[in-house]
Amino acid sequence: MSTNLFACFLLEMTTPNKTPPGADPKQLERTGTVREIGSQAVWSLSSCKPGFGVDQLRDDNLETYWQSDGSQPHLVNIQFRRKTTVKTLCIYADYKSDESYTPSKISVRVGNNFHNLQEIRQLELVEPSGWIHVPLTDPHKKPIRTFMIQIAVLANHQNGRDTHMRQIKVYTPVEESSIGKFPRCTTIDFMMYRSIR
Amino acid sequence: MTVLQEPVQAAIWQALNHYAYRDAVFLAERLYAEVHSEEALFLLATCYYRSGKAYKAYRLLKGHSCTTPQCKYLLAKCCVDLSKLAEGEQILSGGVLNKQKSHDDIVTEFGDSACFTLSLLGHVYCKTDRLAKGSECYQKSLSLNPFLWSPFESLCEIGEKPDPDQTFKLTSLQNFSSCLPNTCTTLVSNHNISHRQPDSVLMETPQDTIELNRLNLESSNSKYPSLNTDSSMSYIDSAVISPDAVPLGSGSAILSKQAQNKPKTGRSLLGGPAALSPLTPSFGILPLETPSPGDGSYLQNYTNSSSVIDVPSTGAPSKKAVTRISQAGTKSVFSQSGNSREVTPILVAQTQSSGPQTSTTPQVLSPTIAAPPNALPRRSSRLFTSDSSTTKENSKKLKMKFPPKIPNRKTKSKTNKGGITQPNINDTLEITKLDSSIISEGKISTVAPQIQAFTLQKAAAEGLMSLLRDMGKGYLALCSYNCKEAINILSHLPSHHYNTGWVLCQIGRAYFELAEYMQAERIFSEVRRIENYRVEGMEIYSTTLWHLQKDVALSVLSKDLTDMDKNSPEAWCAAGNCFSLQREHDIAIKFFQRAIQVDPNYAYAYTLLGHEFVLTEELDKALACFRNAIRVNPRHYNAWYGLGMIYYKQEKFSLAEMHFQKALDINPQSSVLLCHIGVVQHALKKSEKALDTLNKAINIDPKNPLCKFHRASVLFANEKYKSALQELEELKQIVPKESLVYFLIGKVYKKLGQTHLALMNFSWAMDLDPKGANNQIKEAIDKRYLPDDEEPITQEEQINECYPYESVGTDESQESSMTDADDTQLHAVESDEF
Repeated sequence: MSTNLFACFLLEMTTPNKTPPGADPKQLERTGTVREIGSQAVWSLSSCKPGFGVDQLRDDNLETYWQSDGSQPHLVNIQFRRKTTVKTLCIYADYKSDESYTPSKISVRVGNNFHNLQEIRQLELVEPSGWIHVPLTDPHKKPIRTFMIQIAVLANHQNGRDTHMRQIKVYTPVEESSIGKFPRCTTIDFMMYRSIR
Repeated sequence: MTVLQEPVQAAIWQALNHYAYRDAVFLAERLYAEVHSEEALFLLATCYYRSGKAYKAYRLLKGHSCTTPQCKYLLAKCCVDLSKLAEGEQILSGGVLNKQKSHDDIVTEFGDSACFTLSLLGHVYCKTDRLAKGSECYQKSLSLNPFLWSPFESLCEIGEKPDPDQTFKLTSLQNFSSCLPNTCTTLVSNHNISHRQPDSVLMETPQDTIELNRLNLESSNSKYPSLNTDSSMSYIDSAVISPDAVPLGSGSAILSKQAQNKPKTGRSLLGGPAALSPLTPSFGILPLETPSPGDGSYLQNYTNSSSVIDVPSTGAPSKKAVTRISQAGTKSVFSQSGNSREVTPILVAQTQSSGPQTSTTPQVLSPTIAAPPNALPRRSSRLFTSDSSTTKENSKKLKMKFPPKIPNRKTKSKTNKGGITQPNINDTLEITKLDSSIISEGKISTVAPQIQAFTLQKAAAEGLMSLLRDMGKGYLALCSYNCKEAINILSHLPSHHYNTGWVLCQIGRAYFELAEYMQAERIFSEVRRIENYRVEGMEIYSTTLWHLQKDVALSVLSKDLTDMDKNSPEAWCAAGNCFSLQREHDIAIKFFQRAIQVDPNYAYAYTLLGHEFVLTEELDKALACFRNAIRVNPRHYNAWYGLGMIYYKQEKFSLAEMHFQKALDINPQSSVLLCHIGVVQHALKKSEKALDTLNKAINIDPKNPLCKFHRASVLFANEKYKSALQELEELKQIVPKESLVYFLIGKVYKKLGQTHLALMNFSWAMDLDPKGANNQIKEAIDKRYLPDDEEPITQEEQINECYPYESVGTDESQESSMTDADDTQLHAVESDEF
């Protein structure tokens, strides 16, 4: 905390375009187009304060958070058992409660393992308060397929050292359960005949 | 000792009859500690079993050698309940070491309960995958007792096609004709007393007529010189009435029975405490009052006929009433026979339903402890014939000189409940009809009075049989997935049977299998209304709601079911479906797993779990689930379908086709399955075959829009654009709001070079799309997401390319296409932003 105290004095002067909050990922899930697959992955952190670790990062509770306890960059590693299609990453950050712990510069990297990670996305956050949707797509705008995702917090607001992240969710596109490579049908009349259950 | 134990037994049975299992168990334990006889052992085991502790009964019986058939049967039943199938089989049919008993051996050993034994054995065989043997057992069981439904049901479920006309008929039951007169005689013997009883209730319900007929019968019976020894009576009657009937056993058997009976009556005279509460099993009181008929045959009547024929008779009606009714009956028209058919079943069904509570009453009647081992059939009979109770009670009531109030009320209420007011006429009608037919046979015109009573009962039984035949036909059709026929048959059941949970559930399931989910939902909601305690079939209802995406109704259903019965797999399936619809697949998986835990033999839960694993893309687990479902029930076509679906996802198309074909062999009428096969065939580049298959599917169900859609897309892929367009235009009539249709139309137009129309349809497709699925179509238009991966350029690019051509056209079209193109691009951009 003490390291971040100095940063607090600079609070008033930062009011450029704030990062707008995205939609609640639960709504995305309801549409049936995406599915959370974080539970199938192995999560690890570069460092954490005891009691503020992966469990808190993944507990679906916006009140709890992961707090790093080490030097930057702070890393979140998400490793899948098999090559997995990933469409979107959702991160919850709240500047109002976390202040100088709020990340301001995030890099997202993907790869097969720790040694061949490639950055696919870097984003700047300005006083975010809510969900941040990070689409993970290749240059052709197709969802990427990967074994591993690494989220690196490169900087915090007001030069804060340690960081807070409240939730991270990983989404995969849902394949249509019907046969034929058609997009989703939209009426129930049609959908009823789509499959046997 | 034996004499002393009778009041204890009576107390135990009374406790059992009042569901006071703790008392019954305690007393039975005391009794068994006291006498240590097999009789007491059996009684104790029965108490354990009835209190729901099959394992206790199992260990108890296991620890002692069981020699009597009823003990063996109970032990086997426990074994099956505890899924120790091999052991159960060994007990019933002899193990590997001993020679396997043939069915006839079983029949001789278990006597009257052989039908139940065989049914149980059939169950064991089917569970252990020996379907042929199982079906033999079921068939034998049915031929012994056509009143049994569950063997028939099991036969249908394992894919046999038992003929309901052959199964549910009285002549197929050899014992039956002989047992019918028996019941008459017993009633006759009771009747003496009923005359004396002044308080007996006068009711002009059909039962009265029956009673009346019994009276007649009695009087005529007295003519018989054999002084009412039942055995001889039954022998004679059977011979007289049904020429084809085989007389009951051999003469010696009858004799032995008589011999046994004599000592018994004596003992019961000693032991029967007349002061027992009226609800207790008559407990030897009966022989006290009417010593003439040996109770052995008395009991036997019930066993053979399963007493379904004995309608509970309340009191003795005056003869006047009877004659009047019968006269009316003769006048009424025969052509109304259809009506009478409808009516008679009620009587029967009613008696049946009333059975279980008091099923054991006969037990006390026969103090069998000292009886020689060949008294088996009689004993077992009292065990397994639950339905006899009502008559028993009545008869007992009649015997006792004081009019017991409670049983009176009870019987009365029962009869009233049945709501049988009209049948009198019909019944008599039926009787007279039967009478005349019998007389015309020229065999027994002299014995008309008894026969009248007999025929009355026979008519009631006949009515039940005809009902069972109809239901059997319907169920058979459903099990062979002739759903339309099943609906037709079941809908023609009499309305009071139609409006019951069972029938409606079967109809609902038939609609479900036809993919007519709206109809199915209507039917099932009716079931929920009339029988809100019904659990069976609700899993189908929940899946119906899942298909219709009625999340509110589904969550109400699942909440109610899980609150009501946490031990039923159906409830957990409904809960799982509920969460599956909410796309909370992890929770859904938990619930489906719970359904499996609750009942590992419930195939549908495995299938649903498999579907859930498919949705979470854990295909290996899903495969295991579907295979488990097939292991439990090889005729569960949904699981075969699930396997095919997985192989399709893995692009193993020929395997997929094979599995879909398996499913189709079971359910050949499913247009959805045919449609899938068509798509797989198309994927295998067998487009002609695919079109054939899809045409077949459309013939089966012209309302299935997906078949038409896939046919259109196959035509489209084969570059038959005109016919594809025509197909899609027809489809537009069926599902005018489906954006996919417009999407495909747009693609066809694009192929035809009519870019303007193409863009128009694309924009319609997007407009029709609710926001959720929107992205996908946008993506599809945006990217190369086309069914035939033949287009290397993304659609967006194409649209852009097309645009210059379009600008040559009229201003209007140019404008509209411009906006469309803009629109598309705009959407595409949006979708990128996410």
